[in-house]
Amino acid sequence: MALKEISSNKCFEGLQKVFEHDSVELSCKMKFGIYLPPKAETEKCPALYWLSGLTCTEQNFISKAGYQQAASEHGLVIIAPDTSPRGCSIKGEDESWDFGTGAGFYVDATEDPWKTNYRMYSYVTEELPRLINANFPVDPQRMSIFGHSMGGHGALICALKNPGKYKSVSAFAPICNPVLCPWGKKAFSGYLGTDQSKWKAYDATHLVKSYPGSQLDILIDQGKDDQFLTDGQLLPDNFIAACTEKKVPVVFRLQEGYDHSYYFIATFITDHIRHHAKYLNA
Amino acid sequence: MDGKAAGAPPDFHFYPMDLYDPEDRLHPFPEGATQTGREAYAEMAEEASEPGGVALGKAPRAQEEEVDELVHLYALGGAGEWGSELADGSAPCAEVPEHLPLGAQRDWRGEAGERSCPGWGAAGPGRDLREAYGYAHGRASEEYECYVIPEEEDEDEAALVFCVTCKAPVRALEVSDEHGEHEVTALDKALESAKDEVHKNMFKLEKQILEMENFANHLEEVFITVEENFGRQEQNFESHYNEILETLAQKYEEKMQALGEKKKAKLEALYGQLVGCGENLDTCKELMETIEEMCHEEKVDFIKDAVAMADRLGKFLNTDTDVEITTQPDFEDQTLDFSDVEQLMCSLHTLPAPSAPVINPQAPNSATGSSVRVCWSLYSDDTVESYQLSYRPVRDSAPGKDQAVFTMTVKETYCSVTNLVPNTQYEFWVTAQNKAGSSPTSERAVYMTAPSPPIIKSKEIQSCEEAALICWESGNLNPVDSYTVELTQVETPEASGVTESVVGIPACESLVQLQPRQSYTMSVRALNMGGPSARSDPVTVHTTGSRFPLNQHTCHPWLTVADDGFTVVRSEREAPPKEPLPGNTRFSRCVAIMGNLIPVRGRHYWEVEVDERADYTVGVAFDDVPKEEDLGANRLSWCMRHRFASSRHEYEFLHNKATPGIRITVSPRKIGILLDYENSKLSFFNVDISQHLYTFSCQLHGFVHPCFSLEKPGRLRIRNGIAMPTHVTFY
Repeated sequence: MALKEISSNKCFEGLQKVFEHDSVELSCKMKFGIYLPPKAETEKCPALYWLSGLTCTEQNFISKAGYQQAASEHGLVIIAPDTSPRGCSIKGEDESWDFGTGAGFYVDATEDPWKTNYRMYSYVTEELPRLINANFPVDPQRMSIFGHSMGGHGALICALKNPGKYKSVSAFAPICNPVLCPWGKKAFSGYLGTDQSKWKAYDATHLVKSYPGSQLDILIDQGKDDQFLTDGQLLPDNFIAACTEKKVPVVFRLQEGYDHSYYFIATFITDHIRHHAKYLNA
Repeated sequence: MDGKAAGAPPDFHFYPMDLYDPEDRLHPFPEGATQTGREAYAEMAEEASEPGGVALGKAPRAQEEEVDELVHLYALGGAGEWGSELADGSAPCAEVPEHLPLGAQRDWRGEAGERSCPGWGAAGPGRDLREAYGYAHGRASEEYECYVIPEEEDEDEAALVFCVTCKAPVRALEVSDEHGEHEVTALDKALESAKDEVHKNMFKLEKQILEMENFANHLEEVFITVEENFGRQEQNFESHYNEILETLAQKYEEKMQALGEKKKAKLEALYGQLVGCGENLDTCKELMETIEEMCHEEKVDFIKDAVAMADRLGKFLNTDTDVEITTQPDFEDQTLDFSDVEQLMCSLHTLPAPSAPVINPQAPNSATGSSVRVCWSLYSDDTVESYQLSYRPVRDSAPGKDQAVFTMTVKETYCSVTNLVPNTQYEFWVTAQNKAGSSPTSERAVYMTAPSPPIIKSKEIQSCEEAALICWESGNLNPVDSYTVELTQVETPEASGVTESVVGIPACESLVQLQPRQSYTMSVRALNMGGPSARSDPVTVHTTGSRFPLNQHTCHPWLTVADDGFTVVRSEREAPPKEPLPGNTRFSRCVAIMGNLIPVRGRHYWEVEVDERADYTVGVAFDDVPKEEDLGANRLSWCMRHRFASSRHEYEFLHNKATPGIRITVSPRKIGILLDYENSKLSFFNVDISQHLYTFSCQLHGFVHPCFSLEKPGRLRIRNGIAMPTHVTFY
């Protein structure tokens, strides 16, 4: 797959680049941001995947989160894909901000007209890592994932569905229990149809209950003043309860005064990067 | 002056060295000196040599010159020289063979002309040397006034070899007849060996010179010593004699004076008598005159006066006239008492009693806890047979009390006095004794025994990766001057590491800088005027992780610490709550205890094993955290609190009563706590799964201590001395 470099900016002695490529899974051109720390000049670095939330592109995270300093210090390559296929001309993809374009929900859709292009789960777990491993100085054995909101949901399910693939996972205000929240219901019914059993395969709370794999160490930050929390979109308690039951280690931090924005992400991104570095650089 | 030195090698004779005329000493390598004999030879030689020519290249000439060399060598100047020696007392010198290179024959000869060997003063050695080598070519006898060369010239055509047996060069032709059975060697070789011999003798001579010089010096010293000794004796004698003389003079004076007075007394008495006599006489005469006058008077008057006169006379004559001389003219025999002089005289030839020794001040580090080594000196040449050392302890109590004095007799000028009490001052004084008696006592010197060794409080050692704080008991009742901490790195059992010492420690504790992840053996000594004590029992300190003891003074009454020092237990049974004493160091509300963490800024890590179902609080607090409050309820403490209620685990991270909202799904059994002064952070970890739980940012203006509390009966176990795990290092 040919990679086309869209932009490159030096940042904290590393390079923040944006590439475009033709995605096989998504059958369209996809962009992604990639930060290469200074260490990548001389050796292979671990890879940390960031999944953004609803309405985001590859740009939001790389310009607002302020993660490059921590990434540079810890020597991590950070990849931030887009949140859905773009320009596929599917009817209705731009109707809502929480479904379709910018709202891929990191599932492999089974319903028409979405099933051809909306295969974000496979893109994130298969195609993108292969592409990155082939074209960048990353260590294929050391990979972690994190994300925000819908991306948090994506990170959690990718990790829970692929035990051992990711060394660590963390999330900012994730949608923890989509089958029970409005966003989740809307998206899953659109992408996956009405069979709720198919939905559970993409629900972190459900996945944890049957998670067989090795220990994960999950860090979750949640703004206390996050309106979506109050709106019941996120439902962290359910996830925590399930993890407690299953003895999956989670540290869930309710951050006083913080909301759902990138300001909240920027505040705690360093903690998350350190959390991942602990496992990726071990 | 031909003498033999005792012990000189048999083939070498003693040459007399005049102590006071050093310029006459032998110069073994004479250069530029002249000798008459040589000059004579030189003249001869120069006649024989080619003026300006060098012998090189002319074979027959060379050989002749070689022979000449040899001759010179052996005869050391030849026959004629002996004669001249005897005449002027100069002796030949050993030629330096280096000065006889073939090619420089002429030079050598020239030098020979300048060379001489003064100072020998004896022909004997020279003659002996000559005899040793045996050869004086031709006619080496005193008959010849000069060295006879012409004979060699006659033989320049003949080949010469050297007969070792006869020690003479001989013509090759003659070998068969006279020297047929003798050992014969080539002339060259003989020359070489002769040169070697000369070398050896040169060396011996040099040595002899050195020995003699040393001996001379030594003698000089002895001279001086004799003078000194004489001087001392003289002085001693003089002073004694003077004493005697003075005494005698004094006696004389006294005696004279006494006699004079006696005389005066006698004379006065006599004079008195005389005066009395005179008076008597006068009276008699007067009476006589009166009587005579009376006789010339008229009868009537005569009878009147006569009667009166008769009365007067009668009275007068009745009074006794003492005509006895009361005073004897003789003087009694004086018994002259010279006993004290006699005594003095007697002591003249005996030794004086010694003068007082001088007792030395205590040498540093010469004392032990139970003994001191007392030294003194005698600054005179007095003969001393023994010393008497006395001592008693110095006490602050009233001087009226007599302390027991101990005395011992020693022959040396030092004594190790044992059986003493540590860290105590003793007063010492010493006298010297000999046959004449005892010296006056020396000054008193105070010696002090070293202290007893301290005892390190091993259970209270605080350490971290960079330092250790140890404290100890003095081990002595009275104060000592200071303490010294000694530490050695424990590397391998065989290797003895360098011992580092920290000296001058005023109090019973010390904070010592150390290297991380090592083991050290540390011990303490107490120090006083007498020196250091023996080493205390050592303790081992490991600089891995941080180690702190629990501070029993802070322990809430309902908590107990097990014997291991690290298990904190709150038992089911509780004592009734006590009134908190004011100013108490114990926790009164919160059932807590604090540790004593070493006051070193850096990173400290420790772990606590907890019961999942226990209600506990762990964290840090300042020394002065209010003990009547709960941990975390004020600004002086930061802690993690766990409550287990209704099957739910609740976690709080408390400071100043505030806690963030934290949910933890896996309940930690072992909590790791990282205190980072540098970054002002306090972090908590689930050690078993390497999970970071929470980090406080805390302003730590002073030093904090670990604190632990149990809100319900249960136990927790503290683990110390653990190196920071890798996952912790990320924080």
